[in-house]
Amino acid sequence: MVAYIVRRLLLLPLILFGISLIVFGMIQSLGSDRLLAAYVNPGLLDKLKPDQLERIKDKYGLNDPMVIRYFKWLGNTIKGDLGWSVVGKEPVKDALLHRLPWTVELALYSIIPVVVVGVWLGITAAVNRDKFVDHFVRIFAVVGWSFPDFVFGLLVLMVFYSVLGWFPPGNLSFWADEVVKSPEFRRYTSLLTIDALLNGRFDIFFDGLRHLIAPILTMSWLWWAYLLRITRSSMLEVLSKEYIRTARAKGLSERVVINKHAKRNAMIPVLTVGGAMVIRLFAGTVIVEMVFNRTGMGSFTATAATQLDYASIMASVLFYSLILVLGNLVIDILYAATDPRIRLG
Amino acid sequence: MKKEPILSVRNLKTYFYTEDGIVKAVDGVDFDVYQGETLGIVGESGCGKSVTSLSILRLLDEKGKIVDGSIIMEGKDLLKLSEEKMRSIRGNDIAMIFQEPMVALNPVFTVGDQITEAIVLHQKTDEVTAKKMAVDLLRKVGIPEPEKRVDEYPHELSGGMRQRAMIAMALSCKPKILIADEPTTSLDVTIQAQIMELMKELQREYGMAIILITHDMGVIAENSDRVVVMYAGKAVEYAEVKTLFNDPKHPYTWGLLHAIPRLDIEQQRLYNIPGVVPNPLKFPKGCKFNPRCEFAEEICRREEPELKQIEENHSVRCHFWEKVEEAKRAEVGERV
Amino acid sequence: MRSETKRILRRLLRNPSAVIGFSLLIFFIVVAIAAPLICPPQSYNPYMIPIVSWDLTPKPPSDGHPFGVIAGRDIFYGIVWGTRTAFRVGLLVTLISTAIGLFIGSIAGYFGGWIDEILMRITDIFLSIPYILAAIVITSFLGMGLNNVMIALVAFGWMAAARLIRGNILQVREEQYVLAAKALGVKNFLIIMKHVLPNTIFPVLIQASMRIGSLVITAAALSFLGLGAPIGYADWGSLLNFSRNWLLGASGEAFKYWYAIVYPGVTMVLFVLAWNLVGDALRDVFDPRLRG
Repeated sequence: MVAYIVRRLLLLPLILFGISLIVFGMIQSLGSDRLLAAYVNPGLLDKLKPDQLERIKDKYGLNDPMVIRYFKWLGNTIKGDLGWSVVGKEPVKDALLHRLPWTVELALYSIIPVVVVGVWLGITAAVNRDKFVDHFVRIFAVVGWSFPDFVFGLLVLMVFYSVLGWFPPGNLSFWADEVVKSPEFRRYTSLLTIDALLNGRFDIFFDGLRHLIAPILTMSWLWWAYLLRITRSSMLEVLSKEYIRTARAKGLSERVVINKHAKRNAMIPVLTVGGAMVIRLFAGTVIVEMVFNRTGMGSFTATAATQLDYASIMASVLFYSLILVLGNLVIDILYAATDPRIRLG
Repeated sequence: MKKEPILSVRNLKTYFYTEDGIVKAVDGVDFDVYQGETLGIVGESGCGKSVTSLSILRLLDEKGKIVDGSIIMEGKDLLKLSEEKMRSIRGNDIAMIFQEPMVALNPVFTVGDQITEAIVLHQKTDEVTAKKMAVDLLRKVGIPEPEKRVDEYPHELSGGMRQRAMIAMALSCKPKILIADEPTTSLDVTIQAQIMELMKELQREYGMAIILITHDMGVIAENSDRVVVMYAGKAVEYAEVKTLFNDPKHPYTWGLLHAIPRLDIEQQRLYNIPGVVPNPLKFPKGCKFNPRCEFAEEICRREEPELKQIEENHSVRCHFWEKVEEAKRAEVGERV
Repeated sequence: MRSETKRILRRLLRNPSAVIGFSLLIFFIVVAIAAPLICPPQSYNPYMIPIVSWDLTPKPPSDGHPFGVIAGRDIFYGIVWGTRTAFRVGLLVTLISTAIGLFIGSIAGYFGGWIDEILMRITDIFLSIPYILAAIVITSFLGMGLNNVMIALVAFGWMAAARLIRGNILQVREEQYVLAAKALGVKNFLIIMKHVLPNTIFPVLIQASMRIGSLVITAAALSFLGLGAPIGYADWGSLLNFSRNWLLGASGEAFKYWYAIVYPGVTMVLFVLAWNLVGDALRDVFDPRLRG
């Protein structure tokens, strides 16, 4: 297993390098002048003296050949200088840091219903193959998988907000937002709901939750259908294996056969796929945050795209790709740890 | 000395209800199994021998149904027991080992875990005692360093050791009957011999009956006391092993024996039973073997023969079993 | 071969979800083909939804406008001609990205060695960027418009097909390796292709039909964000872009505008559902056969 992990770890920098090349390449297509606008607050640009301008150009390698420019860019990026965000009206790094927690919160909460509902329904459907439950669940899943997330989101908004008024869009109600911005509200984790609890403000906790339910529902809608199908087919495949027959031949009850012998094997591929899906969940925040008008990395990226805020766009790409790559690594490690055939070579 | 059989199968019929039609996998099988003895079930692939063994333990998948027959063990008909009672018999009174131990053992649990599971379930011991018993069992089946092996996973053992481990698992509760479904088919020839030796040893020690399922006549000859020959879902001949090999009465048995290459006589060509095993969805009318039978006549194409007892401990399902007698005598005459 | 096709058709027809899927698909094809008849174009570019009112508030379904009006444009028209757009985007992108994928995968599989390594690493890198993000980024650089969206989707959509054919080639090569003591380069190639191609066609078809659904969703999402089709273009995602503003504006009133969401939304769901069901049905029929 160690060899396996080491191999995966070695690939990591290579992939990151490749992504950085793509990102860098795309930025360079803008041309030097527009590049400048991406790195520096345009408002200040005009006020700069020629030698200050030259220093900035040097810092970002705008006068240097591509290769040097790349390394300067890489260096700046690692140091956290990602340019200037037009959308956020602040350096990109700060814009990211302000919005990151919201997205992380949304994505993490969404994992729960996806996994719980998807896996549970998938196993139920597989165990009751071809009975009514199975058909019903599968139809539900196919429809779910066919539903674009923004369509579902709009429908949810329409029903639960416009009609019922239960779950409004946005991150917080106005009054809650004021409290959170005030100095008395301490930020421990930057995740609103947890911070609210830690601050003892249950009213803010519930307000945040209220604003989260509809987006979580929308985020998970597509993915629990996907996870369900994967779980079901994995379970079905395992149930047809010889060792299940052996388990029954030993006289074990059906419940033990399924819960102990079958599930353990079925979950292995589900873990890999499910893990990959969790990462795609993050990408889903782009649409969902736009639909529900929430602050976060997703809406930030989408808005940046429409406003051609290139520095922000590229930073977002880096962020999401990093999540994907690291997430895959974690999954690979988990997978190796759970399957004894890989763990022990 | 007329013993009482420990298991009696009468007129067993197991059908599979598939999308393409009804498959009569087992359509009339009769045999008895005696304590301390081995019953061999032999036949080509698809003749229904595996399904027969699965029917005894009622381990068929959803499409399979036992539609007729009785399986009596110690006075009780297994086919009429509740699922709960059946579960207490599986792995306990009747145990089964399968052909491919790599796929028949759960890859994510240790060998020891899988053995102790059965022990804890049926003998209601605690984990620690069960594990000690598992180590002893592994030692008994000839696995070296059993204390180490008990914590290893199936993929860490060799093919032969895996099969031994499966035997250990099956014997963990000292079953009265062991069903072995092609236990050596996927193993090397030398390991095959070892495994069969092991099984015979354990049979002597535990006094259990063995139902040995195989397509290999050689294995049957060396290891059985009685034999059932199956063809197209039916038992076509049932005899003690010596009788079967020296005095076969069914044309199919005769064909099978004939097909074994001989060292003691000169053969120009190896004999081959003409034709192929019929498609279970399209069985021929009358006797299922008739298209391939040298001795077939009109009645064979119309009427299915019954399984008739022609001697003590010898039954045949054929209209013209005497013809086989004649052919054999002629052949022996030739040789002499 | 004929009886094989008959058997396949029989099994497909016995599967209710397959029947629904194919029926829906045929329905959409008919609508797409008959678009000029159902909604006669009113300008030189039939894909621009005609403006029927200068008042931007949405109007509920009425006689002349069975699905209502939004942003001054007839929703029904948008949906009918949007069917053509959906097919165009879905099929073109799938076709081209699959072709590219097959090409790259074939090279990787056939040549092996470091060529394979490099191509696979490149595939990994492309796979590391989430699809919708890649599309967003490329369109922001190339500019708005469906053509650019399609380029973006193709640029990041070829990987699955590449892996598929590479896997098949590797499998076949493993078998041929034993035979190849002294093999001519050309002969090897022909042998591999002869074995690989028939085994690959069906999985590729199945994979493609299952991807079209999510592809159309992604393309529509881009239009929804305002990055795809220009304003007023006959595209379902674009229609939903209009409705979003109205939804978020007024609370309590917005249910009035249900038609602006429901009609394009349901259409999209049915379209994607059709492809998913068809893909599922194809896989149910062909996959077990392929597995032996």
